[in-house]
Amino acid sequence: MADEKIIVELNNVFLRSSRGYEVFRNLNFKLLAGHSAIIHGTAGSGKSSFIEMIIGRQFAESGSVEVFGNLIKPRKKGVIRKNRRKIGGVGGIFSLVPSYTVAENISFPLILSGAGRKYRNERLSEILTEFSLLKQAKEFPSNLTRVENMLVQFARASIAHQPLLIIDEPLAGLDQETYRKVYEYMFKLAVSGLTLIIVSSEKLENRLPNCRSYQITEGAIL
Amino acid sequence: MTRFFHILKELYRNVRRNIMTTLSAIMVMILLLFLFDIFWIASVTSNKLYRDFLSELQMEVFISEEASDSATVTLQESILNIKGVNNAEIVSRELARQQLAMLVGVDLLIGYDTVNPLPRSIIISFDDEYLEVDKLQEIEERIYNFNSVSNVFYSKSWLAKVEKTKSIISRVGLFLGGLILLTVLISSASSMSLTTRARASGFEQMRLLGAGKIFLALPFLIEGILIGFFSAFLGWIVILYGKNKIDITQIEIVYPSYQEILIFCLLAGFLGLASGYIGIRKMLKM
Repeated sequence: MADEKIIVELNNVFLRSSRGYEVFRNLNFKLLAGHSAIIHGTAGSGKSSFIEMIIGRQFAESGSVEVFGNLIKPRKKGVIRKNRRKIGGVGGIFSLVPSYTVAENISFPLILSGAGRKYRNERLSEILTEFSLLKQAKEFPSNLTRVENMLVQFARASIAHQPLLIIDEPLAGLDQETYRKVYEYMFKLAVSGLTLIIVSSEKLENRLPNCRSYQITEGAIL
Repeated sequence: MTRFFHILKELYRNVRRNIMTTLSAIMVMILLLFLFDIFWIASVTSNKLYRDFLSELQMEVFISEEASDSATVTLQESILNIKGVNNAEIVSRELARQQLAMLVGVDLLIGYDTVNPLPRSIIISFDDEYLEVDKLQEIEERIYNFNSVSNVFYSKSWLAKVEKTKSIISRVGLFLGGLILLTVLISSASSMSLTTRARASGFEQMRLLGAGKIFLALPFLIEGILIGFFSAFLGWIVILYGKNKIDITQIEIVYPSYQEILIFCLLAGFLGLASGYIGIRKMLKM
Protein backbone atom coordinates (compact mmCIF):
# COMPACT_ATOMS: atom_id res chain seq x y z
CA MET A 1 0.00 0.00 0.00
CA ALA A 2 2.89 2.32 0.77
CA ASP A 3 3.94 2.66 -2.90
CA GLU A 4 0.40 3.43 -4.10
CA LYS A 5 0.15 6.76 -5.83
CA ILE A 6 -1.86 9.48 -4.13
CA ILE A 7 -4.31 11.05 -6.56
CA VAL A 8 -6.03 13.57 -4.29
CA GLU A 9 -4.83 14.84 -0.94
CA LEU A 10 -6.32 17.65 1.14
CA ASN A 11 -4.59 18.64 4.37
CA ASN A 12 -6.02 20.96 7.05
CA VAL A 13 -8.06 22.82 4.48
CA PHE A 14 -9.89 25.92 5.57
CA LEU A 15 -12.35 27.36 3.06
CA ARG A 16 -14.68 30.31 3.37
CA SER A 17 -17.52 30.90 0.91
CA SER A 18 -17.79 34.09 -1.14
CA ARG A 19 -20.52 35.20 1.30
CA GLY A 20 -18.10 34.80 4.19
CA TYR A 21 -19.30 31.72 6.06
CA GLU A 22 -17.00 28.79 6.79
CA VAL A 23 -17.41 25.89 4.39
CA PHE A 24 -14.53 23.74 5.64
CA ARG A 25 -12.54 23.80 8.87
CA ASN A 26 -9.57 21.52 8.98
CA LEU A 27 -10.66 19.26 6.13
CA ASN A 28 -8.46 16.22 5.54
CA PHE A 29 -8.90 13.73 2.73
CA LYS A 30 -6.72 11.31 0.84
CA LEU A 31 -7.54 9.16 -2.19
CA LEU A 32 -5.17 6.60 -3.68
CA ALA A 33 -4.98 5.55 -7.31
CA GLY A 34 -7.45 2.81 -8.13
CA HIS A 35 -9.54 3.55 -5.06
CA SER A 36 -12.92 5.19 -4.93
CA ALA A 37 -14.73 7.48 -2.52
CA ILE A 38 -18.44 8.02 -2.11
CA ILE A 39 -19.03 11.37 -0.41
CA HIS A 40 -22.45 12.36 0.75
CA GLY A 41 -23.75 15.35 2.55
CA THR A 42 -26.81 17.53 2.83
CA ALA A 43 -27.45 20.48 0.54
CA GLY A 44 -25.03 23.30 1.42
CA SER A 45 -22.63 21.00 3.25
CA GLY A 46 -19.83 21.82 0.81
CA LYS A 47 -19.93 18.92 -1.67
CA SER A 48 -19.69 21.22 -4.69
CA SER A 49 -16.92 23.26 -3.05
CA PHE A 50 -15.03 20.01 -2.44
CA ILE A 51 -15.21 19.15 -6.15
CA GLU A 52 -14.34 22.70 -7.18
CA MET A 53 -11.23 22.68 -4.98
CA ILE A 54 -10.05 19.50 -6.71
CA ILE A 55 -10.52 20.93 -10.19
CA GLY A 56 -9.05 24.33 -9.21
CA ARG A 57 -12.19 26.42 -9.35
CA GLN A 58 -12.10 27.32 -5.64
CA PHE A 59 -9.00 27.69 -3.53
CA ALA A 60 -8.33 26.88 0.10
CA GLU A 61 -7.70 29.86 2.36
CA SER A 62 -5.23 27.75 4.32
CA GLY A 63 -4.03 24.17 4.19
CA SER A 64 -3.10 22.38 0.99
CA VAL A 65 -4.85 20.71 -1.92
CA GLU A 66 -2.77 18.35 -4.03
CA VAL A 67 -4.07 16.60 -7.12
CA PHE A 68 -1.83 14.21 -9.08
CA GLY A 69 0.98 15.45 -6.83
CA ASN A 70 0.50 19.07 -7.90
CA LEU A 71 -0.37 21.80 -5.42
CA ILE A 72 -3.52 23.61 -6.49
CA LYS A 73 -3.05 27.34 -6.11
CA PRO A 74 -4.76 30.28 -7.87
CA ARG A 75 -1.65 31.33 -9.75
CA LYS A 76 -0.81 27.85 -11.02
CA LYS A 77 -3.14 28.09 -13.99
CA GLY A 78 -1.01 25.83 -16.18
CA VAL A 79 -0.98 23.11 -13.52
CA ILE A 80 -4.74 23.39 -13.06
CA ARG A 81 -5.29 23.15 -16.82
CA LYS A 82 -3.10 20.05 -17.10
CA ASN A 83 -4.80 18.45 -14.10
CA ARG A 84 -8.25 19.10 -15.55
CA ARG A 85 -7.28 17.19 -18.66
CA LYS A 86 -6.69 14.15 -16.44
CA ILE A 87 -10.08 14.46 -14.75
CA GLY A 88 -13.31 13.23 -16.24
CA GLY A 89 -16.53 14.74 -14.95
CA VAL A 90 -20.13 13.62 -14.92
CA GLY A 91 -23.14 15.54 -13.58
CA GLY A 92 -23.26 18.77 -11.61
CA ILE A 93 -21.02 21.39 -13.16
CA PHE A 94 -19.76 18.94 -15.79
CA SER A 95 -22.49 19.43 -18.33
CA LEU A 96 -22.19 19.17 -22.11
CA VAL A 97 -21.16 21.91 -24.54
CA PRO A 98 -24.52 22.96 -26.00
CA SER A 99 -23.14 23.96 -29.41
CA TYR A 100 -21.37 20.63 -29.95
CA THR A 101 -22.96 17.42 -31.16
CA VAL A 102 -22.80 14.28 -29.03
CA ALA A 103 -19.82 13.02 -31.05
CA GLU A 104 -18.00 16.35 -30.71
CA ASN A 105 -18.69 16.49 -26.97
CA ILE A 106 -17.39 12.97 -26.45
CA SER A 107 -14.22 13.45 -28.49
CA PHE A 108 -13.37 16.86 -27.01
CA PRO A 109 -10.95 15.47 -24.35
CA LEU A 110 -9.03 13.74 -27.17
CA ILE A 111 -8.77 17.02 -29.09
CA LEU A 112 -7.35 18.68 -25.98
CA SER A 113 -4.82 15.90 -25.57
CA GLY A 114 -3.79 16.35 -29.23
CA ALA A 115 -4.76 12.83 -30.34
CA GLY A 116 -4.60 12.19 -34.09
CA ARG A 117 -7.71 12.08 -36.23
CA LYS A 118 -7.52 8.35 -36.98
CA TYR A 119 -7.20 7.36 -33.32
CA ARG A 120 -9.91 9.84 -32.36
CA ASN A 121 -12.38 8.40 -34.85
CA GLU A 122 -11.61 4.83 -33.85
CA ARG A 123 -11.95 5.59 -30.16
CA LEU A 124 -15.14 7.56 -30.73
CA SER A 125 -16.65 4.70 -32.66
CA GLU A 126 -15.76 2.29 -29.81
CA ILE A 127 -17.22 4.54 -27.15
CA LEU A 128 -20.40 5.31 -29.09
CA THR A 129 -20.96 1.59 -29.52
CA GLU A 130 -20.15 0.86 -25.87
CA PHE A 131 -22.66 3.43 -24.64
CA SER A 132 -25.24 2.67 -27.33
CA LEU A 133 -25.08 6.24 -28.56
CA LEU A 134 -24.48 5.65 -32.27
CA LYS A 135 -27.93 6.93 -33.20
CA GLN A 136 -27.49 10.09 -31.18
CA ALA A 137 -23.98 10.89 -32.43
CA LYS A 138 -25.08 13.88 -34.49
CA GLU A 139 -27.67 15.18 -32.05
CA PHE A 140 -27.17 18.29 -29.93
CA PRO A 141 -27.49 18.04 -26.13
CA SER A 142 -30.79 19.94 -26.17
CA ASN A 143 -32.36 17.00 -28.05
CA LEU A 144 -31.23 14.35 -25.57
CA THR A 145 -33.13 12.81 -22.66
CA ARG A 146 -31.69 13.19 -19.16
CA VAL A 147 -30.37 9.63 -19.20
CA GLU A 148 -28.83 10.04 -22.65
CA ASN A 149 -27.24 13.25 -21.45
CA MET A 150 -25.66 11.43 -18.51
CA LEU A 151 -24.50 8.59 -20.76
CA VAL A 152 -22.80 11.10 -23.05
CA GLN A 153 -21.03 12.59 -20.03
CA PHE A 154 -19.86 9.11 -18.99
CA ALA A 155 -18.73 8.48 -22.55
CA ARG A 156 -16.83 11.77 -22.61
CA ALA A 157 -15.21 10.90 -19.27
CA SER A 158 -14.13 7.50 -20.60
CA ILE A 159 -12.78 8.29 -24.06
CA ALA A 160 -9.38 9.67 -23.06
CA HIS A 161 -8.66 7.15 -20.28
CA GLN A 162 -8.48 9.91 -17.70
CA PRO A 163 -7.23 8.49 -14.39
CA LEU A 164 -9.71 10.33 -12.13
CA LEU A 165 -13.45 10.53 -12.59
CA ILE A 166 -15.66 12.85 -10.55
CA ILE A 167 -19.34 11.97 -10.59
CA ASP A 168 -21.73 14.51 -9.10
CA GLU A 169 -25.19 13.28 -8.08
CA PRO A 170 -25.21 10.34 -10.49
CA LEU A 171 -28.31 8.59 -9.30
CA ALA A 172 -30.61 11.38 -8.14
CA GLY A 173 -34.09 11.13 -9.63
CA LEU A 174 -33.39 8.07 -11.78
CA ASP A 175 -35.86 5.28 -12.30
CA GLN A 176 -34.96 1.79 -11.02
CA GLU A 177 -33.67 0.51 -14.32
CA THR A 178 -31.51 3.53 -15.13
CA TYR A 179 -30.26 3.62 -11.53
CA ARG A 180 -29.10 0.01 -11.91
CA LYS A 181 -27.53 0.71 -15.29
CA VAL A 182 -25.58 3.74 -14.05
CA TYR A 183 -24.50 1.98 -10.88
CA GLU A 184 -23.31 -1.00 -12.90
CA TYR A 185 -21.35 1.29 -15.12
CA MET A 186 -19.68 2.95 -12.12
CA PHE A 187 -18.89 -0.51 -10.80
CA LYS A 188 -17.30 -1.43 -14.12
CA LEU A 189 -15.18 1.72 -14.02
CA ALA A 190 -14.06 1.05 -10.46
CA VAL A 191 -13.13 -2.54 -11.35
CA SER A 192 -11.13 -1.27 -14.33
CA GLY A 193 -8.85 0.50 -11.85
CA LEU A 194 -10.10 4.03 -12.35
CA THR A 195 -10.14 6.36 -9.36
CA LEU A 196 -13.66 7.58 -8.67
CA ILE A 197 -15.04 10.36 -6.51
CA ILE A 198 -18.80 10.04 -6.30
CA VAL A 199 -20.64 12.91 -4.64
CA SER A 200 -24.25 12.60 -3.62
CA SER A 201 -26.78 14.24 -1.37
CA GLU A 202 -28.16 10.79 -0.54
CA LYS A 203 -26.24 8.01 1.19
CA LEU A 204 -25.46 5.50 -1.56
CA GLU A 205 -24.93 1.80 -1.10
CA ASN A 206 -21.26 1.01 -1.27
CA ARG A 207 -20.65 -2.11 -3.32
CA LEU A 208 -17.79 -0.70 -5.36
CA PRO A 209 -14.35 -2.33 -5.00
CA ASN A 210 -11.70 -0.42 -2.99
CA CYS A 211 -14.32 2.14 -2.09
CA ARG A 212 -14.87 4.06 1.13
CA SER A 213 -17.89 6.15 2.10
CA TYR A 214 -17.47 9.58 3.64
CA GLN A 215 -19.81 12.19 4.96
CA ILE A 216 -19.28 15.93 4.73
CA THR A 217 -20.73 17.59 7.77
CA GLU A 218 -20.01 20.72 9.79
CA GLY A 219 -17.02 21.69 7.68
CA ALA A 220 -15.21 18.40 7.93
CA ILE A 221 -15.16 15.05 6.17
CA LEU A 222 -15.90 12.00 8.30
CA MET B 1 -2.20 19.77 -35.69
CA THR B 2 -5.33 18.30 -34.06
CA ARG B 3 -5.83 21.45 -32.02
CA PHE B 4 -5.03 23.68 -34.99
CA PHE B 5 -7.68 21.99 -37.15
CA HIS B 6 -10.11 22.19 -34.26
CA ILE B 7 -9.46 25.94 -34.00
CA LEU B 8 -10.11 26.36 -37.76
CA LYS B 9 -13.28 24.29 -37.44
CA GLU B 10 -14.41 26.47 -34.54
CA LEU B 11 -13.72 29.57 -36.63
CA TYR B 12 -15.86 28.17 -39.46
CA ARG B 13 -18.56 27.18 -36.95
CA ASN B 14 -18.57 30.70 -35.42
CA VAL B 15 -19.01 32.30 -38.82
CA ARG B 16 -21.64 29.79 -39.99
CA ARG B 17 -23.74 29.98 -36.82
CA ASN B 18 -23.53 33.76 -36.60
CA ILE B 19 -23.55 34.53 -40.28
CA MET B 20 -25.70 37.66 -39.94
CA THR B 21 -23.60 39.09 -37.10
CA THR B 22 -20.41 38.36 -39.05
CA LEU B 23 -21.80 39.85 -42.26
CA SER B 24 -22.99 43.00 -40.50
CA ALA B 25 -19.59 43.34 -38.79
CA ILE B 26 -17.84 43.01 -42.17
CA MET B 27 -20.17 45.50 -43.86
CA VAL B 28 -19.86 48.07 -41.10
CA MET B 29 -16.08 47.69 -41.22
CA ILE B 30 -15.97 47.98 -45.02
CA LEU B 31 -18.02 51.19 -44.90
CA LEU B 32 -15.98 52.73 -42.11
CA LEU B 33 -12.62 51.75 -43.58
CA PHE B 34 -13.82 52.95 -46.99
CA LEU B 35 -14.54 56.31 -45.38
CA PHE B 36 -11.08 56.24 -43.85
CA ASP B 37 -9.58 55.45 -47.28
CA ILE B 38 -11.38 58.47 -48.78
CA PHE B 39 -9.94 60.68 -46.03
CA TRP B 40 -6.55 59.21 -46.69
CA ILE B 41 -6.73 59.91 -50.45
CA ALA B 42 -8.09 63.42 -49.79
CA SER B 43 -5.27 64.09 -47.36
CA VAL B 44 -2.53 62.82 -49.71
CA THR B 45 -4.03 64.73 -52.65
CA SER B 46 -4.40 68.01 -50.75
CA ASN B 47 -0.85 67.60 -49.47
CA LYS B 48 0.37 67.25 -53.04
CA LEU B 49 -1.61 70.33 -54.12
CA TYR B 50 -0.13 72.30 -51.22
CA ARG B 51 3.39 71.23 -52.19
CA ASP B 52 2.75 72.12 -55.83
CA PHE B 53 1.58 75.60 -54.84
CA LEU B 54 4.52 76.12 -52.57
CA SER B 55 7.08 74.96 -55.12
CA GLU B 56 6.17 78.04 -57.16
CA LEU B 57 6.75 80.41 -54.25
CA GLN B 58 9.62 82.83 -54.79
CA MET B 59 11.20 85.68 -52.87
CA GLU B 60 12.17 88.93 -54.57
CA VAL B 61 15.05 90.93 -53.16
CA PHE B 62 15.16 94.55 -54.40
CA ILE B 63 18.59 96.09 -54.76
CA SER B 64 19.25 99.69 -53.65
CA GLU B 65 19.81 102.35 -56.36
CA GLU B 66 23.39 103.13 -55.34
CA ALA B 67 24.62 99.52 -55.43
CA SER B 68 27.13 98.80 -58.21
CA ASP B 69 26.82 95.80 -60.54
CA SER B 70 29.72 94.07 -58.80
CA ALA B 71 27.99 94.59 -55.43
CA THR B 72 24.86 93.00 -56.94
CA VAL B 73 26.84 89.93 -58.01
CA THR B 74 28.41 89.70 -54.50
CA LEU B 75 24.89 89.89 -53.01
CA GLN B 76 23.73 87.12 -55.34
CA GLU B 77 26.63 84.92 -54.21
CA SER B 78 25.89 85.66 -50.54
CA ILE B 79 22.25 84.72 -51.05
CA LEU B 80 23.18 81.51 -52.83
CA ASN B 81 25.28 80.55 -49.80
CA ILE B 82 22.25 80.68 -47.49
CA LYS B 83 21.08 77.20 -46.52
CA GLY B 84 17.77 76.37 -48.21
CA VAL B 85 18.25 78.69 -51.18
CA ASN B 86 17.95 76.70 -54.36
CA ASN B 87 18.51 79.41 -56.93
CA ALA B 88 19.06 83.19 -57.11
CA GLU B 89 18.76 85.03 -60.40
CA ILE B 90 19.54 88.69 -61.01
CA VAL B 91 16.82 90.65 -62.79
CA SER B 92 18.33 93.74 -64.42
CA ARG B 93 16.35 96.96 -64.99
CA GLU B 94 15.96 96.07 -68.67
CA LEU B 95 14.78 92.51 -67.91
CA ALA B 96 12.32 93.91 -65.35
CA ARG B 97 10.97 96.25 -68.03
CA GLN B 98 10.50 93.32 -70.45
CA GLN B 99 8.80 91.24 -67.79
CA LEU B 100 6.46 94.10 -66.91
CA ALA B 101 5.58 94.60 -70.55
CA MET B 102 4.86 90.89 -70.92
CA LEU B 103 2.73 90.93 -67.78
CA VAL B 104 0.68 93.97 -68.73
CA GLY B 105 0.75 93.45 -72.48
CA VAL B 106 2.06 96.92 -73.24
CA ASP B 107 5.34 98.72 -72.50
CA LEU B 108 4.43 101.28 -69.83
CA LEU B 109 7.89 102.87 -69.87
CA ILE B 110 7.90 104.19 -73.40
CA GLY B 111 8.62 107.76 -72.14
CA TYR B 112 11.49 106.61 -69.95
CA ASP B 113 13.92 105.62 -72.66
CA THR B 114 16.98 107.17 -71.00
CA VAL B 115 16.31 106.36 -67.35
CA ASN B 116 14.61 103.10 -66.45
CA PRO B 117 12.97 103.71 -63.04
CA LEU B 118 12.44 100.01 -62.30
CA PRO B 119 14.67 98.62 -59.53
CA ARG B 120 17.05 95.72 -60.01
CA SER B 121 16.20 92.61 -58.07
CA ILE B 122 17.22 89.05 -57.30
CA ILE B 123 14.57 86.32 -57.60
CA ILE B 124 15.14 83.48 -55.12
CA SER B 125 13.64 79.99 -55.16
CA PHE B 126 13.97 77.52 -52.28
CA ASP B 127 14.42 73.87 -51.49
CA ASP B 128 11.06 72.19 -50.73
CA GLU B 129 11.77 71.59 -47.05
CA TYR B 130 12.41 75.34 -46.50
CA LEU B 131 8.99 76.40 -47.83
CA GLU B 132 7.60 77.22 -44.39
CA VAL B 133 6.71 80.56 -42.81
CA ASP B 134 9.27 80.35 -40.00
CA LYS B 135 12.16 79.23 -42.20
CA LEU B 136 11.45 81.83 -44.90
CA GLN B 137 11.23 84.54 -42.25
CA GLU B 138 14.65 83.51 -40.99
CA ILE B 139 16.08 83.72 -44.52
CA GLU B 140 14.39 87.11 -45.03
CA GLU B 141 16.05 88.47 -41.88
CA ARG B 142 19.46 87.26 -43.04
CA ILE B 143 19.00 88.89 -46.44
CA TYR B 144 18.07 92.21 -44.81
CA ASN B 145 21.43 92.14 -43.05
CA PHE B 146 23.29 92.20 -46.37
CA ASN B 147 24.42 95.51 -47.88
CA SER B 148 22.70 96.82 -51.01
CA VAL B 149 19.27 95.37 -50.07
CA SER B 150 16.42 97.89 -50.17
CA ASN B 151 13.42 95.58 -49.79
CA VAL B 152 12.43 91.91 -49.64
CA PHE B 153 9.08 90.71 -50.91
CA TYR B 154 7.27 87.37 -50.89
CA SER B 155 3.65 86.23 -50.24
CA LYS B 156 4.16 86.04 -46.50
CA SER B 157 0.55 86.49 -45.38
CA TRP B 158 -0.74 84.10 -48.06
CA LEU B 159 1.76 81.48 -46.98
CA ALA B 160 0.76 81.92 -43.32
CA LYS B 161 -2.92 81.47 -44.22
CA VAL B 162 -2.24 78.36 -46.31
CA GLU B 163 -0.13 76.88 -43.53
CA LYS B 164 -2.82 77.54 -40.92
CA THR B 165 -5.50 76.02 -43.15
CA LYS B 166 -3.35 72.98 -43.75
CA SER B 167 -2.76 72.59 -40.02
CA ILE B 168 -6.52 72.78 -39.29
CA ILE B 169 -7.30 70.26 -42.03
CA SER B 170 -4.61 67.92 -40.69
CA ARG B 171 -5.99 68.11 -37.15
CA VAL B 172 -9.59 67.56 -38.25
CA GLY B 173 -8.46 64.71 -40.50
CA LEU B 174 -6.51 63.12 -37.69
CA PHE B 175 -9.49 63.43 -35.33
CA LEU B 176 -11.94 62.00 -37.86
CA GLY B 177 -9.52 59.23 -38.82
CA GLY B 178 -9.07 58.33 -35.15
CA LEU B 179 -12.84 58.43 -34.63
CA ILE B 180 -13.41 56.10 -37.58
CA LEU B 181 -10.81 53.62 -36.33
CA LEU B 182 -12.28 53.75 -32.81
CA THR B 183 -15.75 53.10 -34.23
CA VAL B 184 -14.35 50.14 -36.18
CA LEU B 185 -12.81 48.79 -32.97
CA ILE B 186 -15.95 49.20 -30.86
CA SER B 187 -18.34 47.94 -33.52
CA SER B 188 -16.29 44.84 -34.26
CA ALA B 189 -15.65 44.16 -30.55
CA SER B 190 -19.34 44.39 -29.70
CA SER B 191 -20.35 41.96 -32.44
CA MET B 192 -17.64 39.57 -31.25
CA SER B 193 -18.86 40.01 -27.69
CA LEU B 194 -22.43 39.11 -28.75
CA THR B 195 -21.20 35.90 -30.36
CA THR B 196 -19.18 34.84 -27.33
CA ARG B 197 -21.92 35.70 -24.83
CA ALA B 198 -24.25 33.26 -26.56
CA ARG B 199 -21.63 30.55 -26.12
CA ALA B 200 -20.45 31.36 -22.59
CA SER B 201 -21.77 28.15 -21.00
CA GLY B 202 -19.94 26.10 -23.63
CA PHE B 203 -16.68 27.90 -22.89
CA GLU B 204 -17.11 27.25 -19.18
CA GLN B 205 -17.50 23.54 -19.90
CA MET B 206 -14.47 23.43 -22.16
CA ARG B 207 -12.40 25.18 -19.50
CA LEU B 208 -13.49 22.60 -16.91
CA LEU B 209 -12.21 19.92 -19.25
CA GLY B 210 -8.83 21.63 -19.46
CA ALA B 211 -9.11 23.94 -22.47
CA GLY B 212 -6.82 26.96 -22.12
CA LYS B 213 -7.81 30.56 -22.71
CA ILE B 214 -5.71 30.86 -25.85
CA PHE B 215 -7.20 27.68 -27.26
CA LEU B 216 -10.70 29.11 -26.78
CA ALA B 217 -9.81 32.64 -27.84
CA LEU B 218 -7.85 31.85 -31.02
CA PRO B 219 -10.86 31.24 -33.31
CA PHE B 220 -12.23 34.66 -32.33
CA LEU B 221 -8.88 36.39 -32.67
CA ILE B 222 -8.32 34.85 -36.11
CA GLU B 223 -11.87 35.82 -37.08
CA GLY B 224 -11.11 39.40 -35.99
CA ILE B 225 -7.90 39.46 -38.05
CA LEU B 226 -9.64 38.08 -41.15
CA ILE B 227 -12.62 40.44 -40.85
CA GLY B 228 -10.30 43.43 -40.38
CA PHE B 229 -7.98 42.49 -43.23
CA PHE B 230 -10.66 41.60 -45.78
CA SER B 231 -12.85 44.61 -44.90
CA ALA B 232 -9.91 46.93 -45.58
CA PHE B 233 -9.01 44.95 -48.71
CA LEU B 234 -12.57 45.08 -50.09
CA GLY B 235 -12.75 48.82 -49.34
CA TRP B 236 -9.65 49.33 -51.48
CA ILE B 237 -11.00 47.08 -54.24
CA VAL B 238 -14.02 49.41 -54.48
CA ILE B 239 -11.79 52.49 -54.55
CA LEU B 240 -9.36 51.10 -57.13
CA TYR B 241 -12.31 50.01 -59.28
CA GLY B 242 -13.71 53.54 -59.03
CA LYS B 243 -10.27 54.97 -59.85
CA ASN B 244 -10.36 53.30 -63.27
CA LYS B 245 -13.92 54.40 -63.96
CA ILE B 246 -13.85 58.01 -62.78
CA ASP B 247 -11.78 60.45 -64.78
CA ILE B 248 -11.12 63.85 -63.17
CA THR B 249 -8.76 65.99 -65.22
CA GLN B 250 -8.90 69.16 -63.13
CA ILE B 251 -7.18 67.71 -60.09
CA GLU B 252 -4.57 65.02 -60.01
CA ILE B 253 -5.84 62.57 -57.38
CA VAL B 254 -2.99 60.90 -55.52
CA TYR B 255 -3.52 57.29 -54.40
CA PRO B 256 -1.37 55.49 -51.85
CA SER B 257 1.02 52.90 -53.30
CA TYR B 258 0.11 49.20 -53.36
CA GLN B 259 2.68 48.63 -50.65
CA GLU B 260 1.02 51.25 -48.43
CA ILE B 261 -2.39 49.68 -49.11
CA LEU B 262 -1.06 46.26 -48.11
CA ILE B 263 0.38 47.71 -44.89
CA PHE B 264 -2.98 49.38 -44.22
CA CYS B 265 -4.82 46.07 -44.73
CA LEU B 266 -2.39 44.35 -42.33
CA LEU B 267 -2.94 47.12 -39.78
CA ALA B 268 -6.71 46.69 -40.21
CA GLY B 269 -6.12 42.99 -39.49
CA PHE B 270 -4.29 44.00 -36.32
CA LEU B 271 -7.23 46.28 -35.45
CA GLY B 272 -9.49 43.26 -35.94
CA LEU B 273 -7.26 41.27 -33.61
CA ALA B 274 -7.55 44.00 -30.97
CA SER B 275 -11.32 44.16 -31.37
CA GLY B 276 -11.48 40.35 -31.14
CA TYR B 277 -9.51 40.49 -27.91
CA ILE B 278 -11.74 43.25 -26.48
CA GLY B 279 -14.82 41.27 -27.50
CA ILE B 280 -13.76 38.09 -25.73
CA ARG B 281 -11.83 39.46 -22.76
CA LYS B 282 -14.76 38.83 -20.41
CA MET B 283 -14.77 35.22 -21.50
CA LEU B 284 -11.05 35.01 -20.81
CA LYS B 285 -11.66 36.07 -17.21
CA MET B 286 -13.78 32.99 -16.53
